[in-house]
Formats: sequence, structure tokens, C-alpha cells
Amino acid sequence: MGGIVNITKGNRLQAATATAERAAAKGEPVIVAKNVTIGYQLHRERKRLTALKDVTLTVNRGEFVVLVGPSGCGKTTFINAVSGLVEPWEGTIEVNGRPVTGPGPDRAMVFQDYALMPWRTVESNVRMPFEFQQLGLSKQEIADRVRHYIDLVGLGGFERSFPYELSGGMKQRVGIARALVCEPDILLADEPFAAIDAMTREAMQGELERIVAKTEQTVVFITHSIDEAITLADRVVVISFRPGRIKEVVEVKLPRPRYQFDLKIMPEYGELHDRIWRLVKDEALQSARGAAR
Amino acid sequence: MSTFEQSGGVPVNEDADRIEHTGWTLAEAWTSFGPWLVTALNLTTFFCLWELFARSGVISPLFLPTASGMFQALWDGLTTTAPPGAVVSGSIRDHLIYSLTNLGIGLFLACAIGIPAGLLMGGNKVVETILSPYVWALASLPRIALVPLFILFLGFTVKMQITIIVLSAVFPIIINAWAGVKTTEKSLLAAAKVFGASRHELYMKVVLPYTLPFIISGIQQGIGRGLIGVIIAEIFGGSNGLGYLVSRSADTFNSALMYAVLFVLVVVSLTLIQFTRWLEAYVAPWRRIDGI
Repeated sequence: MGGIVNITKGNRLQAATATAERAAAKGEPVIVAKNVTIGYQLHRERKRLTALKDVTLTVNRGEFVVLVGPSGCGKTTFINAVSGLVEPWEGTIEVNGRPVTGPGPDRAMVFQDYALMPWRTVESNVRMPFEFQQLGLSKQEIADRVRHYIDLVGLGGFERSFPYELSGGMKQRVGIARALVCEPDILLADEPFAAIDAMTREAMQGELERIVAKTEQTVVFITHSIDEAITLADRVVVISFRPGRIKEVVEVKLPRPRYQFDLKIMPEYGELHDRIWRLVKDEALQSARGAAR
Repeated sequence: MSTFEQSGGVPVNEDADRIEHTGWTLAEAWTSFGPWLVTALNLTTFFCLWELFARSGVISPLFLPTASGMFQALWDGLTTTAPPGAVVSGSIRDHLIYSLTNLGIGLFLACAIGIPAGLLMGGNKVVETILSPYVWALASLPRIALVPLFILFLGFTVKMQITIIVLSAVFPIIINAWAGVKTTEKSLLAAAKVFGASRHELYMKVVLPYTLPFIISGIQQGIGRGLIGVIIAEIFGGSNGLGYLVSRSADTFNSALMYAVLFVLVVVSLTLIQFTRWLEAYVAPWRRIDGI
């Protein structure tokens, strides 16, 4: 990957400042969710469905937290609540000490289906957040940042391509660049690599780890894959089947950067995988039965 | 970028060393021009067979002119115009201009009414609930049934004809624009919201661009329906337009002229529809790749 080559001096400085600020505050809580219960009103059936029940979770600055759990356990609901798309029924979510009342430039999201505007080029898609948010940057600064993040995800030379001209892996790189371009405190990712083939997926995990290490980003990441969770996470949060509750939090203390190691031959990896799998298995079975019913 | 080529992206800014220029081969020439050649041969054969069949006299020339007779009438009709002071014109050109002008005005009005109406219905629940019964009722009513009503109201006038064209063309436009807004992908909306889009920006920068290709296919259907409206209105009333010329030439057993007018109608309709297809592919290339 020759992605990081073309960083301009100004950008490097800027990125370095942002990184330094984050590093200084590393370890303090960024997301504080207390007793969060969220559900949906099914109007047709006159029912309320609880998706997430009594979830309390603190995510610290610079931490990579991965949520795993069966389909329909409310992982996405949680991430949506942190982003401000969904409001909790009960409990509170605070980001940087302020309660979440809606989306904000301190949080950005990467979507499973990429959610790129098909009528915009790569460059235009990455620039989109600046059209909606006033961050007090000059035109030149915005242009520099956009180019910096396009290069960072390894898409230099593809600025003028449209999403339909790109492969799944490349589309998701655009999605990641778009999320990073505002230099948010928190990166939310909802199964970003689920629709990407296995080989590209492993490469993308390495890329993400490299980018996150570089930007000192706080990440909340959803996946179905235990391997992916262990490869990326500082902490793996296992969520139970409907309604979602936190079943257990597993710390992953494997060395970083992990893409340089052959993780799977390490004995700790096997133990972790086994432990998480045993936690998830019952829930997954329940979920499968629920789907069959 | 070698890792990502295997996942099948369309390489746009490709490395020069991956592109190998190959010369023209017979097979390539065939894939490029073959379909055109086949179509040309196909149509020539069709008109030749028609000519032979008509000349054999199995069907009276009152009903079926020769192909050459039809083309002769077409040529005469397009190159001549009515002498000044003539009560009715026998020139295809005069009637074609009249019909196309009306179609143009009608389609313009249909767009001016249909696009805002459809967008409003898609975006506003109250407007949708109030308007939808009328839209569905009028959209499903065969418009031809309304012709006598409008003749009663407006007489055999241009107003009556344009009203019928607008009523024919407006509903596909409304319904498509409405459907476009309603089917805007939720994830695109969520993405724009997460990145801070206001309601207004959501509408201008997500919903509208997403709906644009829908509106164009609405206009495409509207052109087809509008053309039907033109012909119906002219057959029923008035002494102008291609519809009038068709019925007039049938009344006077001028079958060559009648077939020539039908031929013109086919050409006009195909041209307009092809134009909107091209427009759709131009404004929404991603749909061309995904869809067809």
C-alpha cells in the first residue's frame, strides 16, 4: 500500500497537532452510556419493541471497542444512538461530557452498505461533510484535508471516479475517508467490512488499524466476525440476543500493530476466540431459532 | 494497489502498462457495427417484402399502399406546405409542426405541474394523504373517456387538445417523482444526517439528486402518453395535427398518406424516447450500470 506517500507538509502538521491533542487526553472517557434502553414503535402492530436493554458502557479516548453479538441484538441501535440518529428511551449517552442531542462533527460513521452518494465522485463524497458542517476551515484547508484523507486510505488517483466504478473494498475506503475527513473524536463503524470479500477484508483490517494508530481515533466498531473483533479490538463487548444487554466485556491484550503479526498461531488468540465464541454461541443459536420461527 | 484489483473494481485511472492496444479485427468490427448492419438489412427486407406484397394485389391499394407509394407521400408531405389561404392543409409538415408544438406545450405544463406535485407528495405526509386518492383515480381513468367532457367545456379548440395532452402526461410524472422521493435509500439519508445535513440540505442534496432519474423516466412515460393524447385529441376534434391528418386521409382513402403519417409518428416517438433514455443515462450513469 503506497497510500501515505503524498501527505503535504501542512497536512502532516495539522494531523500531528490533532493527534497530539488526542494523545494528551488519552485514556479519559469519551463516550459514557448509562442504563441505555432503546426500542422501536411498531405502529402497524401497535407494539413497542425493545432493542437494547439497560446498557452501561464507557469508551475511553483512543480505545478500539468492538461490539459482537447475534443478528438483531441491537448493536446497530447502540451505535445509532451514539451518533445521534436515534434517541434513547431511557438512560443517557454523553459524548465528551455533553449529552447527545443529535449528530455532530465530533462523531462520524462508516456504513455497512457504504452509503456513498452515487452521483458524486470520490472527491466530492469525501468533501460532503464540509458542506453540512461549518468547521471554520478555508477552501484551501478543506481541499488539502480531502486530498490527505483520500491518500491516507490509498485512493490517490481515483478522485474523479464514481462509486459505481469502484470495487467494494475501494468504496468502503471512500466511506472511511469521508468519516475521517472531519477529524472526529469518535469513529463509529457498523459492520463496515461485512460486504467485502475475505481477502480484501483482511487487508482492510490492517489498513484500518494503521489509520487508527496514525490518527489516535476512538473507535466503536460492530462486527459479526470473532476473528475481526480480536484482530481489531482493545475490548470486545459481547451483546446478548433480544433485547440486547452487555453479556461480557473481553479485553484483548495482543501486541500491536497486529497486521504485522501472525495472530492466529498465538496461543492467546485461540483462547480468546474460544472464550468469545462460547459467549456468543448460545445467543447466536437463540437468534437463529428466532429467525426460523 | 494490487490487493484490490481482484475484487473487481472498474479501473479508471489505470496504470499505462496494463493497457494493451489491440488493432481492429473482424470480430471487433462485427461487435461494433454488426447490429447496425443487421438492422439495416432487416428493415430493407421488410420494406421490399411489403412492396412486393402490395404489388401482388392480394390486398386492395385502398387499404395497403406500396412501400414506395408511402415514401413518395412522405417526401411530398414533408417538402410541401399548404398554399396560402387553403382551408385545410394536406401537408404532413404543417400538421407535424402543429402537433409537436402542442405536445411541447402540453409536456412543459405537465412537468411544471407534475414534478412539484410529485415531490411534495413524496416529502409531505399531509399533501400525500390529501392528493393521493385523486392522483390514483385520475391516473387509472382511461383519459379518452374525458375527451367528450373537454369538448363540451372547451369546444374543438387548441385549449381542449392541450388539456388532454397535459392530463395524459402528468400522472406518470407525478407518480414517478413521488416514488423517487419515497424510495430514497435510507442509508444515504442516514449518512447525510450523521454528517450534519439539515432538513433542507437533506432534501436538496440527497432526495432531489436521487429522484432526478425517476423524474426523467416519468417524463419518458409522459411523452408516450402525451403523444397518445395528441392524436386522440386531434382525431376527435379540430382540423389540424397529425391525428386529424390520419383520420382525414383514411376518410378520403388516401392510404399512402395515412401510412406516411403513421411512419412519421413512429419516428417522432422513437426519437423523443431515445432522447430521454440518453438523458437518463447521462444524469444517472450509476443506474445504467446497475439496472440494465
